[in-house]
Amino acid sequence: MHKQIETIIENIEKVMIGKREVAELSVVALLAGGHVLLEDVPGVGKTMMVKALAKSVGAEFKRIQFTPDLLPSDVIGVSIYNPKTLQFEFRPGPIMGNIILADEINRTSPKTQSALLESMEEASVTIDGETLDIGKPFFVMATQNPIEYEGTYPLPEAQLDRFLLKIKMGYPNAQEEIEVLRRAEKTQPIFDLTPVITLDELLKLQDEVKEVYVEDSVKSYIVQLARATRNVSEIYLGVSPRASIALMKASQAYAKMQDRDYVKPDDVQYLAPFVFGHRIILRPEARYEGITTEDILERIISKSVIPIKRYAEQ
Amino acid sequence: MKKNDFNLIEIAIYYGIVFIILREWLIPIMELTGTGHMNLILLFIALSLLLSLFRIHFVISMALKLIYIGWFIVYVYSGYSILSGEGIHFLIAELNANITLLLQANWIDVTDPFRTLLFLILIWMLIYLIHHWITVRMSIFYFLVLTVLFVGTLDTFTEYNGTYAIIKIILLGLVTIAFLFLKRLIVNSDIKVDWSHYLKLIIPVILLIGLSGIAAIFLPKAEPQWPDPVPFLKAAAGKGGNDEGVKGVSKVGYGDDDSNLGGPFVADDAVVFTAQSETKQYWRVETRDVYTSKGWEKSAYYAGASTVYDPYMNINHSLPIGPEEGTKQATILMLFPHEFVVQPYGLKSVGVTESNEGIQFLVDDNSEKITPLAYKKPTPLNYYTVDYSKPVYLYSDLKDSSLENLDPELAKRYLQLPETLPERVKELAASVVVGEESVYDQARAIEMYFRLNNFRYDTDDVAVPSEEQDYVDQFLFETKIGYCDNFSTSMVVMLRSVGIPARWVKGFAGGEVIDTNGNMKTYEVTNNDAHSWVEAFIPNVGWVNFEPTIGFSNSRAIDYNIEVPETERDELTVNEEETEPDEVVEDKKDGPQKKSAGNNALWKTIKEYKWVFFISFIVLVGALLFLYVKRKSWMPKVYVKLNGKKHLNESSFELMYLQLLKILEMKGFKRQEGQTLQAFAAEIDRYFETNHMGKLTKAYEQTIYAKESTNVDFEQMKESWEYLINRATS
Repeated sequence: MHKQIETIIENIEKVMIGKREVAELSVVALLAGGHVLLEDVPGVGKTMMVKALAKSVGAEFKRIQFTPDLLPSDVIGVSIYNPKTLQFEFRPGPIMGNIILADEINRTSPKTQSALLESMEEASVTIDGETLDIGKPFFVMATQNPIEYEGTYPLPEAQLDRFLLKIKMGYPNAQEEIEVLRRAEKTQPIFDLTPVITLDELLKLQDEVKEVYVEDSVKSYIVQLARATRNVSEIYLGVSPRASIALMKASQAYAKMQDRDYVKPDDVQYLAPFVFGHRIILRPEARYEGITTEDILERIISKSVIPIKRYAEQ
Repeated sequence: MKKNDFNLIEIAIYYGIVFIILREWLIPIMELTGTGHMNLILLFIALSLLLSLFRIHFVISMALKLIYIGWFIVYVYSGYSILSGEGIHFLIAELNANITLLLQANWIDVTDPFRTLLFLILIWMLIYLIHHWITVRMSIFYFLVLTVLFVGTLDTFTEYNGTYAIIKIILLGLVTIAFLFLKRLIVNSDIKVDWSHYLKLIIPVILLIGLSGIAAIFLPKAEPQWPDPVPFLKAAAGKGGNDEGVKGVSKVGYGDDDSNLGGPFVADDAVVFTAQSETKQYWRVETRDVYTSKGWEKSAYYAGASTVYDPYMNINHSLPIGPEEGTKQATILMLFPHEFVVQPYGLKSVGVTESNEGIQFLVDDNSEKITPLAYKKPTPLNYYTVDYSKPVYLYSDLKDSSLENLDPELAKRYLQLPETLPERVKELAASVVVGEESVYDQARAIEMYFRLNNFRYDTDDVAVPSEEQDYVDQFLFETKIGYCDNFSTSMVVMLRSVGIPARWVKGFAGGEVIDTNGNMKTYEVTNNDAHSWVEAFIPNVGWVNFEPTIGFSNSRAIDYNIEVPETERDELTVNEEETEPDEVVEDKKDGPQKKSAGNNALWKTIKEYKWVFFISFIVLVGALLFLYVKRKSWMPKVYVKLNGKKHLNESSFELMYLQLLKILEMKGFKRQEGQTLQAFAAEIDRYFETNHMGKLTKAYEQTIYAKESTNVDFEQMKESWEYLINRATS
């Protein structure tokens, strides 16, 4: 385990009980420069997770609570006429932070959603013909509640594609939940968190992730998995090449987290469900039969052929 | 439609083939049991097959078959009409009588009609079984094997010749097996097969079977490696086989009828007699003087003249006798009841034991055959002695012989030739003796002619002359392949055509030594030793025996009393005096002689050492099989040996790791394709409670997935690797 990254995760674990995997995956997304879609019911600690992550890396944390009447300008900011200076002044919206929690993203109108997602992709906002870069690092963690469908605007596939990983929080087990209670008895421990890594160090880590080596055989393995999703009868739409890129980048970050300078098929296998899961559209028949994307991905992975020789010798 | 439903045409084809195969069953049965009405039985088979083909309700089918059987029996055995009262009565009476017989376990008296009934019912069952094999089991292999065994057995042990039947059965059977195999494939798989697929699969098979069948017919066939089991079994059972039974192919042995010579014969090891004697010699039985262009007969003119001798009386005959001091005695024990006495050259008298008093000997002046008589009747004599003194011919006499002043009667009798004898035989004989002065030298030249002119000894591939062909002419000019009768008859004819009186002699060659007691040796003479040779009349000397047959030799004692240069004399000695009779006779026992020298030498070696070859082949195959089965235990050791000394680098390490995976797989630790190496290593390490596999795998992953792997300690890897191999194989 990479030491610096380890400290980040340990720091988060001080607040989040029994959520190491979620923490790791969040860090992976952060390191890979991607964004995360957290899907789960309210109250399992999604916000806490993001806050802890933000605090640990010493980043500016912003939260946008999405509602149906939220406007794009409420997200990205607005230019206001200043009578004193006789000029329009830009008031940056909450998006102009480092780590943003976009809560219940599926509750707002597609217009506002697309404003958020566009800025996520571009890492910049455009207002009145002016393009402003959002600071680095830029990490959006969006949450959506899978239970309530009333009055929601489900994210279209093209926009889901913008998220590097989709993670499910899940409930803590009994032991962990007792520990959660114990800690919440007096004060929220989140306030005691201090940064363990500076933003510059984080940016440096992000650069290092890009240097992690991906052997051609491993690239071909990624492609093998991606192509497999396009040939399964239960799947209506398989993953795009962008998903293959995402899987590779995530794998690089994961390898970095393991303090390794090359990617192994293990990394790819581990991350594939998180990267591909939200990018696959199942056929309705399959959904009615209760088949989930997780089942299918598990099957694809178990049937895949791991490269155990050098690429040239395959 | 379910796929294992056969359609009608398909079954019809199978049944057609089954019908032909059953016909091959039937033919030998008919032939051997002398049963008639084969067509009616075939009709019954066809009826049964048809009823089964159209799936006639079994009650109707059974009734029809029973009616047919009833009609068959009444028609064949009584001649009544089945519809008449007599017919029915006959049938019922037969059934009644036979069932009583069966209940009494009196199998022998069961009548033919009832046997026929049982036979037809057997066929009925067989067809039901075949129906089951084809439509349910879809495999006709057992039936085919049984048929081949059946026909093969009959072919071997009876006069039935199944050569073509076997080919037919095998080819048809293979085709059926192919069809049924395809059928099974189609039924067992979910593939839809249409006609084009079907043809694509079946046509190559049929072509292949057809071509190999044609090739099999035209390929040269090796001679049987084992002797024909029938004579062997008979011999083993103590019954000497004579030429009875087998048509076309005779068995070797002493026979009386020589009027139609030619044709192949098979070997026969049955012992005819044993002879205790000091010397090895030919055993003469009788002579023939009339050549008919097909064989030999006794001349009617001289028939009837004979003399009766008591035991130990000096017997008069035409042959010269050796000096008194050379007299020897041989004891003959006849194991086969032939009514003749075997005579050594130089025979003086025949003696019997006390228990055989009253025996006399009849000597036929014509053929010089000696027949033992008991109370004036010919009888086989099982034990007797012969006194003889081998004639010694003076070399000078032989050399001086000339054909002037021949006794006209003798000339008339022993110069007889059929008028039909082709001129070219005479011309050939004349050309052979050109330049030879003495009669003896001329006879010698003819005797040697066969050995020098590519004649071949063979007992199988021997022709029989056609109606207008001359036996000798055919042998001399067309076939050049034959056995003793061919050689000896030809020599007699050639001698006669150049004016030398000659006759044809029948008897036995010397046999094999089976026991030695001082000077006395016991010779065993079998049917295989039955032989024919030549006696020529040399003026001033008398009758001299000659041996033209390749591979045989008979000795003539020649006294070189004159002074000849030492060298020439040596040469003569070699030529005249028999060199190694034992070996030569041995050759004969092998039957067919060499075809081409080189090929045969190899073949002979292989034959001689065939057990060695066979056993080493088995051992080799066994060893390979053993190694294959045991590969799990020895391959790892080989790997360890091979890699132990090797200096490890990236590529050799890669190889070693993959070998390790292979060995682990052989030991049952198979990595699934989708399982990562790390996960697999964890599994292995958990099982063996080590961390070596993890270490190795980590290093391996580094070599194959990382950009460069500088920090791998290969020596340490080797240790882990060896540890794992040993753990896996122990």
